[in-house]
This record gives sequence, C-alpha cells and structure tokens, in this order.
Amino acid sequence: MRLNEIPIDGVPYDRLKVEKIPASPAYAPRDPELVPAAGRTLVINPDRICMPIGAMWAVLGVHRAIPFVQGAQGCTTYARYTFSRIFKEPATIATASFHEDAAVFGGRRNLLEGLRNLVVRYWPEVIGIATTCSSEIMGDDLVSFVKEARIKIGGEIGAEKMDRIAMVIINTPSFAGSHVDGYDRAAKAFVDTLATGRDTPDRRVNIIPGLLYPGDIREIRHLLEEMEIEATVLFDISDTLDAPLAPPQEIPYYPPGGTTLQEIRGMGNALATFALQPAAGAGGARSLERRLGVPAVVGLTPVGVDATDALLQNLSRITGREIPASLKIERGRLIDALADTFHHTMMKRVAIFGDPDTVTGVARFVCELGMTPVAVAPGTPTKTFEQEMDGIFAGYRELFLDTPKVFNGGDLFEFEEYLKTLPRLDLIIGNSKGIDISRELEVPLVRVGFPIYDRFGYQKRPIVGYRGAELLLYEIVNSILDFRYPDDRTQQL
Amino acid sequence: MPLINMKCDELIPERGKHIYVHDPENPVVPACNIKTIPGDMTERGCAFAGARGVIGGPIKDIICMVHAPVGCAWYTWGTRRNLSDLHAWALPGRLSNVAFNRRYCVVTDMQERDVVFGGAKKLQASCLEAFRLFPEVRGMIIFTTCTTGLIGDDVKAVARQVEKEVGKPVFTSESPGCSGVSQSKGHHDFNIQFYQQVNALRARRPELKMQDEEKTPYDICLIGEYNMDWDLAAIRPLFERIGVRIAAVFSGNERIENLIKMLDVKLNVVHCQRSAEYIAKMIQDGFETPFIRVSLYGIGQTCDALRQTAAFFGLQERAEQVIAEETARVEKALAFYRSRLAGKRIAVYVGGPRVWHWIRLLEELDMEVVAGACTFAHEDDYQKINDKLKGQVLIIDSPNEFEIEEMLDTLKPDLFLTGMKEKYLGRKMGIPTVNSHSYEKGPYEGFAGMVNFARDIYQGIYAPAWRFQHGLPASREEAPPCA
Repeated sequence: MRLNEIPIDGVPYDRLKVEKIPASPAYAPRDPELVPAAGRTLVINPDRICMPIGAMWAVLGVHRAIPFVQGAQGCTTYARYTFSRIFKEPATIATASFHEDAAVFGGRRNLLEGLRNLVVRYWPEVIGIATTCSSEIMGDDLVSFVKEARIKIGGEIGAEKMDRIAMVIINTPSFAGSHVDGYDRAAKAFVDTLATGRDTPDRRVNIIPGLLYPGDIREIRHLLEEMEIEATVLFDISDTLDAPLAPPQEIPYYPPGGTTLQEIRGMGNALATFALQPAAGAGGARSLERRLGVPAVVGLTPVGVDATDALLQNLSRITGREIPASLKIERGRLIDALADTFHHTMMKRVAIFGDPDTVTGVARFVCELGMTPVAVAPGTPTKTFEQEMDGIFAGYRELFLDTPKVFNGGDLFEFEEYLKTLPRLDLIIGNSKGIDISRELEVPLVRVGFPIYDRFGYQKRPIVGYRGAELLLYEIVNSILDFRYPDDRTQQL
Repeated sequence: MPLINMKCDELIPERGKHIYVHDPENPVVPACNIKTIPGDMTERGCAFAGARGVIGGPIKDIICMVHAPVGCAWYTWGTRRNLSDLHAWALPGRLSNVAFNRRYCVVTDMQERDVVFGGAKKLQASCLEAFRLFPEVRGMIIFTTCTTGLIGDDVKAVARQVEKEVGKPVFTSESPGCSGVSQSKGHHDFNIQFYQQVNALRARRPELKMQDEEKTPYDICLIGEYNMDWDLAAIRPLFERIGVRIAAVFSGNERIENLIKMLDVKLNVVHCQRSAEYIAKMIQDGFETPFIRVSLYGIGQTCDALRQTAAFFGLQERAEQVIAEETARVEKALAFYRSRLAGKRIAVYVGGPRVWHWIRLLEELDMEVVAGACTFAHEDDYQKINDKLKGQVLIIDSPNEFEIEEMLDTLKPDLFLTGMKEKYLGRKMGIPTVNSHSYEKGPYEGFAGMVNFARDIYQGIYAPAWRFQHGLPASREEAPPCA
C-alpha cells in the first residue's frame, strides 16, 4: 500500500472549517471613554510580560548558566514554555517550587534545598537567581539565604568546588516592571556581582545587546570582527538559544556557547560598554561606568543606516579602529536597496509596536525609507520614549503624511482600537501579538521583536547592522507588494 | 522491588519513591501528587495554570479576569490550543480573527502600590469596565494568583458586588500559583469552587436552570473535554448520531449558560478523569446523576465510550451502526500507518491521564510503550497505567528534565510523545517528538482524529531530517539514500 492510495488525513487540518458565531447581533464600537488606557483601570492585551522572564532570558545567554526562579512553578514553567515557543529550543530553568508552606514560612528552605539540588545534579558554572512576586511579597532575604546556602553546599561538595560556582541575585518582582526591566536588572546584577575590578585594562569592548535575537547578535559579532575588535557580549544567546541538532547530545543538556564567567569578570577592564538597547541593558553599562570608570555608550538600537553608522563611528572612536572597506560595501548595498525600493515604501503609513528599543529602532529605519509612522507604541513605557521619537521624527516630518501618534505604555487594545480609526494603513510592524489586528484590518504584519512564536526563522534573521536592515527592508517592501499590488504590476519593479 | 533510583538522582534519594519499572506481577503505585523537590527542572506548572489555562480558558463567552501583574495573564493568552467558535465583531461586517476566549487578555495589572494598599478596589473597577467594554459577554470568572492571594484581596466580595451591578454571573477561582504542588491543584480548586458557586447561583436565580421544555431524555454532559485543536469536531457528531444530546461540555467551546445547566443532564461522560472527575462526583452526590469514565482516544476506546453511553440510554443499535461506519471509514488509512509504525518503541510523557489513554491507542498501531511519565498524576492514574501495561515499562512521576534525558538516553525510543518544553530536548537528542498537549495538527480524538494522530507520528518517525543527524558523511558512499 502506498501513501497516495489512502486518505491521509482523518479530519484534514486545512479543511476543518469552523463556522464563526457572532458574540452579539451586530458591530458596535467599544465604549470610546474606556478605549484609551489612561481612561481605565483595566489592562487588555498587554504588550509586556513579567520581570523574571527578562532576567531568565539574560541568564540563558551565559555559558553553563542556569536560571533559578525563586517562586511558584508557574513562574518558571510559563517562561520555559515561552522560550521554547519562540526559539524552538530547550530552555533549562530551575524552580524553587513554592507550595503552600513557602507561602506561610517564606522561601528560605526552598532556596537552600533548591540550590543544593541544582548544584549536585547539574554542576552549573553560574546560577542566576531571579525573584518573583511571591518571594518579594514574603520578603525573602536573598542575600543572607544565598550566603547560608553557599556555606551549606560548600560543606557537602567542598569549598573549592563551591567557589567555582558563581551566584547572581536578580530582584524581579513583576508588579514593579516588565520583562524589559527584568533584563536590565539582570545586566546590572551580573556586572555588579561579577565585574568588580578594573585591574588590567584591555582593548576589549563590552556589548550588552538587550532583547535581540540570535541572528542579531551574530550580526553584531560580524561587525566587530570586520572592525577587528574583541568584545564581550553579555548576554550572548546566539548559540545557547540556537543550538545545532548533532547527537549524541551530552546529558544533562547544556547548550553550546554563552558568555563565559571569565569574560564577565573581565568586563571592568574594557574600553567601554555599549548598551544597544537603552531600556534593556543600560543599567549594567551605567553601573560599570559609575563604579569602575568604564565609559558607557547607550543606544542607539542599531537598526537602519543612521543608527548603524552611529554604532560603527562610536566603536571606531573608542577603539581607534578604522571602519573597514568591507563594512562600507555593506552600507553601500543597503543604500542601493533603499534606492531600488523607495517607490514602494514612500508615503506608506506604518504602525509600529513592541519593546521600546525595538520600536525606536524600527521607527528610525522606516523614516529612512520615506514611510510615515502613523502610530508607535512601546509595550513597556520609558521616561525617554517620547523625546527619542521627537528626535527621530525631527529630520523627516516634512515627508510625513500624518502626524504620528506616540503612545508610551498603554496596551495593545488601545493601540488596535486607534488603528481602526485611521482612514488608511499600509503596514503593521511588531511581534506575533499583532496577527489578529493585521488579519482584521487586512493590513500586512511584518514580524519584528519579542516575541515571535507563530512563524519560523525570525529569531535567526537579523534586523541590526546594514545587512540586517537590508533583510528587514525586503520583508517590508515584499509584504506591501504581496498585499497591495496586482501581479500584473509587479513584472517590472 | 520495582521502585528504582536513576543515575542522575544519586544524590537525591527521595526521587527513588517516584520512579519504577512496572512489573505486571507486582504492580506498585509511586509517590505522587506530592511536593516537587526545590531546584527541580520540573515540567509542572502552577495551580493558577490549572484553573485558568485548562478549565477556565476554554469557556467561550465569558471574561477570564486575571487579578495579577500582567505576566500571569499574558502567559495564558492564546497559548493552550483550546479553540472555540464564538467571535466578537472586529469591524462592521467582520468578525475577529480568533475566537473571543483567545482574542483578549484581561488583567488588573497589579502594581507596587496595589500590593501595598490592596487590590480589591482596582479589581472592582476593572470588572465593571470589562463588562462595559465587552457587553457581549455573558459572565466572568475572576482568577487570583500568588500576588493577590498573598495580599489577601477579598475577591468574593468584589464578585458579589459586580454581579449585583451588572446582572451577569461573576464567579471566582481562588487558586494562587503557589497554593498546590502542581496544576492539578488548580483543576481541583476550580471544580469545587465552580460547583459550589453554580449551585448557589441556581438557588438565587432558578430561571437559569435547564427548563423542562429544553430537557430531553438523552441529555449528557461531556466532562473534562477542552476542545484541543477542535477535538469536539471529531467527537460531537458521534454522540449526536447515536441519538444523545450533548447539553453541555465542561468546558471546551462552551457557553457559561450551558455550564450552569450542566447539573440537569441525565448522564455525565467523563473524559479527562484527572482534571474534572471531581465535578462529576459532586454532581453524582448532589443530584444522583451517574457518570461514566471514558477515553475518546483511539478506535477501541472511542467504540467503548460510544457503547457505554448508548447502553445507558438503550441506543445500542444506533451505536453499533455509527461504529461500523466510522471504523470502515478509517480502516484503510490506519492499516497503512500500522504497517509503517509496527514495532516502533514509544516514550510518553504528558500531564497524567493521557499516558493511560494512549497505551491502547499505541497498541492499535502495533507500537510499544517503553516508558511513561506524568507531570501531575495521582494514585488512580498510576493504577490505570499499571492496568493497561503488559510488560516492563519505566514509569516516572513528576520527572525533572535530567531524568527525562536519562530515560531517552538509555531507552532510545523511536518517538517521544510530549509537550512544548520537552519536545525540543528530545529533538536535540535525535529523537522525534509529537506535541501531545496541544497537538501538532489535530484533532486527535475519535476515529478521524486517530488518523491525524497516526499521521503525525508517522511524519515524526519518517521525516528525512533524521537521516542527516549523524553529521557530515566521510564520503559520498556513506551519504543517506535519497528517497
């Protein structure tokens, strides 16, 4: 019997058409008084997650490091689930497993036993301990708990072995911020705990990429290699969350790569720290500057021509390295692509949402394409977002069709209700949470930023650097062509 | 002694109580449904996940109000594939892209000041706003989490107040993440609290009960069925064709009004016997409504389920007719898959009940279960597993990731049926996986679903990807054959 002789599907997945039942007789606009997020208490469709997941993301970028979450199991399991959905990779994260007794007596026992069990089974080099809502409300004294744990575990395994395991405490109560803040706190906690001296200054630079994908980090590394700059990338998820399938796999599973403990310890010796995303990582860069005098270069998120230029110029200024011809060729190719495509991007209206630094980066780039950003919405509010947007728009306002609506915080419900009021919209750029609004408004969605879980490959394709910008540009222009252009008008583009 | 300790647990001897090699002569039930060891890479979720994600989430015409910081709500927003058909209007003439229960994530967004001063006022304002913004909804369930459980907000009082103001039922599900050993605690909490609150509501408002003119002698409630990937599309017609009426489903693709009426049916048919048998038992105790336990996975078990249900109502003849038609329809496809899958060795790791649901199903494809593991199973689940296993099989209760790796490494199964988090781990070890929680391309239940399941298993095992996993061949001659 052969495959073509049988009906392969029981209920063919693509033919399983379920008739939609309307929830009410007819369309009625949502109560306009309650649509703006500022006008209500409730949050609907938040474009931000909890603080611990940002810290876990960071720890997963460290070599042989395991995040340990001081909270209930859900705080860990949901985050692991989210990482797996996005990266299609395992994410090894330990939990303190708070049950009823922890809620009554606090999390000391869970932390002590938990760290011990983690150490004797996994022998990690670094443990990043992220707190949660529950441990913060109960007032767990992590510093003294960890001290106690180190002595106890040291007694069991020997002080020498214990000394080789670094532990970093990251306070991440979710009611005080989002995943973006969680990443930022992790950056600060790691350098504060581990990069404590500037004894042998070297010629390296530190890069704190922020919530960028493996493809982006590889692109940053490419730029650094072309400039012959040695760098410590904290936190480097480019291998840990994009590992090859090549059995036999050693157990327990540790992904390859990640920033090494030694590299982090040496960060105080660097020429400078570049925090590519101000909201996610600047805390670490500023702390190194304040404590050890390592200059901090914060932003711009290197998306597009101008921001990549700025990164390379800053790198060149600080290291004394010339920007090589090879990168100038890449820049030239990007400009060539800009010139080839602007007939299809100019005067197009685009709405952008996502993490604040992704939004500023992408907004700057779409301006370079001659598009009009009609609405920009960072899921996590920042103090500087509006000002940054003003700065970006200043050079392009005369090209705009409309005045951009700048949100700061709020939620996706407010954002999408606003988009529904627009007479025309050509493109939405944002994460996977934009798919519904894209389908409902019949406007294409270009997927960028965190999280993207409903398509494959985006986490590997850069948007930073000249080459990343070129790829993003093609994604943008092809989405517009796919959606808006009859096929007989695309024979000569 | 069938209980064993794995190599990776050498220094954690208490894990030995949870792991055994089943011996048909001497079956044991491991330590289960107890605290997870701290520091574990557990796959267990929290009690909130069980209540909100598993049971509350599928109800299609209510708002699941998560009283928490945004994270807890975000994680339950459109993740588990509990699909439904009720859609809000997105624009004039256009319904929303995905169904209402997955389209909106509604949360009180607890901030630091709320934690200090209490969140009850915020919750009340949020509930009232939600009813104003979504007038199409028929009710609400308020879920508490670690944050709001620990600060002790009186959510019941808020629910009563809001219900009074809007006139629609408002339920509470108080099951903070840290209140139990796994999501199973959340299932249990939800069952008890929902049953009690529905009873109280029916006492207050008898008009919400099923009225006599709606009742038929063939009313059943399908309990513990969550419409994963439209399982109900495969299952519902089968029951209807034998002549019974599914008056309510707890809780897949169901309206809240039907869940209020679920106490008025003649028979409860319980599918997931871990997450929802509690409510069936309470209904039996309170209303003398009997329930039967069924499995709707695989041909044999689906046939049994239909026969049992039909027998209760005296509809055996029609059941046999449906069974004959349906088995004939899938026979050829299953014969093909059986021919390709026979002899393959399978490891199954799911929440709990699916391990025993699937043993017989895998046997129908002539495959062999070599290992099983459950995240949150209780004693009765392990008894059911033991009853169905014929040979020596490794069983792990609430495994941690390392134990899973050791299991895969030593047994080297041909396929690993597991969830989202572990499937990528299996793949890294060169072992194909099928997402067994939300499915790859379901539905997997019933006759037609069985063919889908077999197809996904077949695709898993026969994907050409696996031919290339052993690295770059030294020469062209050693290269894998082209298909």
